[in-house]
Amino acid sequence: MSQKRMVDKNGMRGGAGISAIVLLVGFVFQWRPVVPAIAVALAMGSLFGLRYSPLGATYRFIKKAFRLSIPVEPEEEPPPRFAQTLGFVVSGIASLLFIPGWNAAGWALALLVSLLQGLLAVTGLCIGCEIYLYVQRFKTREVQAH
Amino acid sequence: MIVRLVVALAVAALSVALAVLWRRREGRFDEAEGRFTPVELGVVKIERPSAVLVEFYGQDCAPCVTVQKRIGKIATEVPDVQIVSIDAGARMDVADRHEVRRVPTLFVLDADLRVRWRASGVPSEDAIRNALLGPNWAGRPVPDAARQQHVRH
Repeated sequence: MSQKRMVDKNGMRGGAGISAIVLLVGFVFQWRPVVPAIAVALAMGSLFGLRYSPLGATYRFIKKAFRLSIPVEPEEEPPPRFAQTLGFVVSGIASLLFIPGWNAAGWALALLVSLLQGLLAVTGLCIGCEIYLYVQRFKTREVQAH
Repeated sequence: MIVRLVVALAVAALSVALAVLWRRREGRFDEAEGRFTPVELGVVKIERPSAVLVEFYGQDCAPCVTVQKRIGKIATEVPDVQIVSIDAGARMDVADRHEVRRVPTLFVLDADLRVRWRASGVPSEDAIRNALLGPNWAGRPVPDAARQQHVRH
């Protein structure tokens, strides 16, 4: 396999868990700013790499502060980075929906992000990563067809 | 406030329910049909091992690395098994013919290259071992670790 930048899968899961909880708490207390905040955090991971994601940094801080012995599980970066991009897009749209006052639609999208992030945190199943791999295969098929 | 709390709990519960469902399916070997050809597997001569383990992997696929490690370990334990690793992206024709929708996907074949078991995702070591060793379809021969082969293309 090709040499690519690696990230800690457990860090990604930890970050996903943090964002899922933050979004749920934000929903309960109707703290709308948490949605764009999560969108920005996901955007940073997407643009600059997962090691610069505030969610990952929070995970690492918690792990260090509580001396959690969670092993580092290396994983190639492109799929989770693509997943962060998808998360940013959806939470970004959710944030925009709050501006004209479409709060229900905004929170629905934010809860969708929370659901998928929760799933990733609990199982390691990264829907965005699966989509990335599927798209990569589709692109390869297109190249082979020509 | 209470309604929102209920909704938030429902989302969390849904997340856990989906997680449980996914864990039940993930990496589970199911009986399957079909047949591979020696050309598809990139082997000229079939050594007639008692089982052939075909692994479809992909680039950038982290779970594939986990599966490869498990297979590598099991290959040293289970005798008379031939392991074939296929890059699903590079061999799209083979992947499509066997309806491989995601990677990793594993097939366990008998000596005539008939598909016996299939699993998508990351099976446990025990699941892979069980699929290779039983039930009695393979007619397990006398263990002969020297016949192990691993073809990668």
